[in-house]
Amino acid sequence: MRRRAGLQFILASAVFSIAALCFGSAPNSSSLPKPQIASEQNLAVVVNLSNPVQNLSMPELRRIFLGERSHWPNGRRITLVMMETGQPERDVVLRDICQMNETDFNNHFLHGVFTGEVFVSPKTLATPVGVRKFVFNVPGAIGYLRVSDLDSTVKALRIDERGPEDKGYRLHVPPRSSK
Amino acid sequence: MKFPGPLTIRVTCALKLTGRMMVSRIFPLLLGILVNTTILRGQQLVDATAADKQTLQLLLQRIDQLEARVKQLEAAKQAAPLSLPSAPAQTSAPPASEAELQADNAVPERMDSSKTLLRMRGFGDITLHGDSQRHDTTAFSLGQLNLFITSDISEKFKFLSEIVFEGGPDNIFGETRGENNAFGVDVERMVLQYSHSDYFRLAVGRYHTAIGYYNTAYHHSTWFQTTTGRPFLFQFEDRGGILPVHTVGASASGLIPSGHLGLHYVAEVGNGRASRSPITDEPVQNVVDDQNHKAFNLALFARPDAVRGLQVGFSAYRDLLAPANLPRIGESIFAAHAVLVRSKFEWLNEVLVVRHAPSGTPRVFNTPGFYTQVSKQFGSYRPYFRYQYVNAPSTEPIFPDVGLRQGPSFGLRYDASETVAVKLQYDYTALRGQPAVNALALQVGFTF
Repeated sequence: MRRRAGLQFILASAVFSIAALCFGSAPNSSSLPKPQIASEQNLAVVVNLSNPVQNLSMPELRRIFLGERSHWPNGRRITLVMMETGQPERDVVLRDICQMNETDFNNHFLHGVFTGEVFVSPKTLATPVGVRKFVFNVPGAIGYLRVSDLDSTVKALRIDERGPEDKGYRLHVPPRSSK
Repeated sequence: MKFPGPLTIRVTCALKLTGRMMVSRIFPLLLGILVNTTILRGQQLVDATAADKQTLQLLLQRIDQLEARVKQLEAAKQAAPLSLPSAPAQTSAPPASEAELQADNAVPERMDSSKTLLRMRGFGDITLHGDSQRHDTTAFSLGQLNLFITSDISEKFKFLSEIVFEGGPDNIFGETRGENNAFGVDVERMVLQYSHSDYFRLAVGRYHTAIGYYNTAYHHSTWFQTTTGRPFLFQFEDRGGILPVHTVGASASGLIPSGHLGLHYVAEVGNGRASRSPITDEPVQNVVDDQNHKAFNLALFARPDAVRGLQVGFSAYRDLLAPANLPRIGESIFAAHAVLVRSKFEWLNEVLVVRHAPSGTPRVFNTPGFYTQVSKQFGSYRPYFRYQYVNAPSTEPIFPDVGLRQGPSFGLRYDASETVAVKLQYDYTALRGQPAVNALALQVGFTF
């Protein structure tokens, strides 16, 4: 009888889980094609010039931005650079790459560091100039910049074989506020 | 700045010459030299005063010139567009080290004797609980006060520890020790990690054994956990748990090249659990192993790209226990799990069996157990459900007190802020040969 009761509970939980999963797996807004507003810019993922990597797939990029990868193929440790909370560039990375909100992202890293899976927390910088300087100077760094903030001191990666200037590139950031 | 003059050199030579003379001849000579020196120094001071004034004037003029130059450069910089240093060739001298730059732009990580390398985070919880068991009372309980400390020792090395202050007596396989309201301190984790690459990491120290999923996903903090506590299967050794939750030893882990499958491995060797019976000491062998045999654990799991948040895997643990007045007992623990963890949804499923085989007898004692836990986030609220089951034989040689226990738990977690969670949980636990226990707990867990 007890075993039956246990099985019933498991079945009930399974039904509840499946229902919740179906409910929770509504199409993610980030996976839907979004019309690009004319004034939007592409957001480039940038690395140090010495980094041999040219292209990353979106799942690879996600793993890097979530701290699940800690080394580049050349052995250098990955140093993740994030802009400060509230910056539109950061919001794009959280939404389109990490598929998390700010709280989930912070909890993810806190939990990762707590379990020991995440080796190093991201560095937070305030300005695009700071990001560019950091990536220029740190061989293992990876960050992100608007295309208009790019220059020859950093290397923009291709994502899923598309560069930031290519049609169909997936990371777009709204224009800067005029204030 | 003063340089030795001819007079000083003369004094030095004179002293060398007089070194061989008798003391009575030295004093008059020294007296004469001293008088001469004083007279000459007085003359030099008069000349130097005039020279110093000239030097001072020259220096002041030089400062004025430099200040003017700085202003000129600042004006030119503001007028011109921002220009960054040109990109160096990839084969040219390497850029500044990470340490140098991080000192400019972010929190410094390198050794600096004037600063500590430690980073500390705290966790705690307080619970109001009551149950229907005889002699139990409804009480407020201070939970674990956990100081989680990390330190980035270098690019490849990292230190991690959990120091836990915990109240109440220990319960080791039914043996209770300690006072009800006294606090004790435990170093629950102390790990030095070395990260060579994503394919190879090595950790030494005291860590959570990679048996199943829950044990390495959740440690000594209720705030991280959805529920008010761990499943009974993964309860800590000093809280009546049946698994060797902690191991002192070495652990290697990393990725297995497997493309989109995302395979990982963990291989561990350590002291294993204490096997004295009854256990009256610390169940984790922190310092001394009671035998030369070591415990081994191997875990494999996959995190496929195709289903975000899914992890499936299994682990196999092997040890040899040597309880007093009993034959040696081979201990094997096989565990499997399938979990789906996303920001707003989690579904945890784990099953394991603890197998004890006393040598010299054909008898084998199997203790199976499982739990399933599901929760879904709605805004700040997360209702959850868990069902757990453990069935240890009544003649089980290592933990005879456990028996059969099974039942559901229902609860609601409310995140009052990003760092404070309030949980209300009801547990129903059916026990073999005893009345079932109804329990209710209200807990506040937080990080600081």
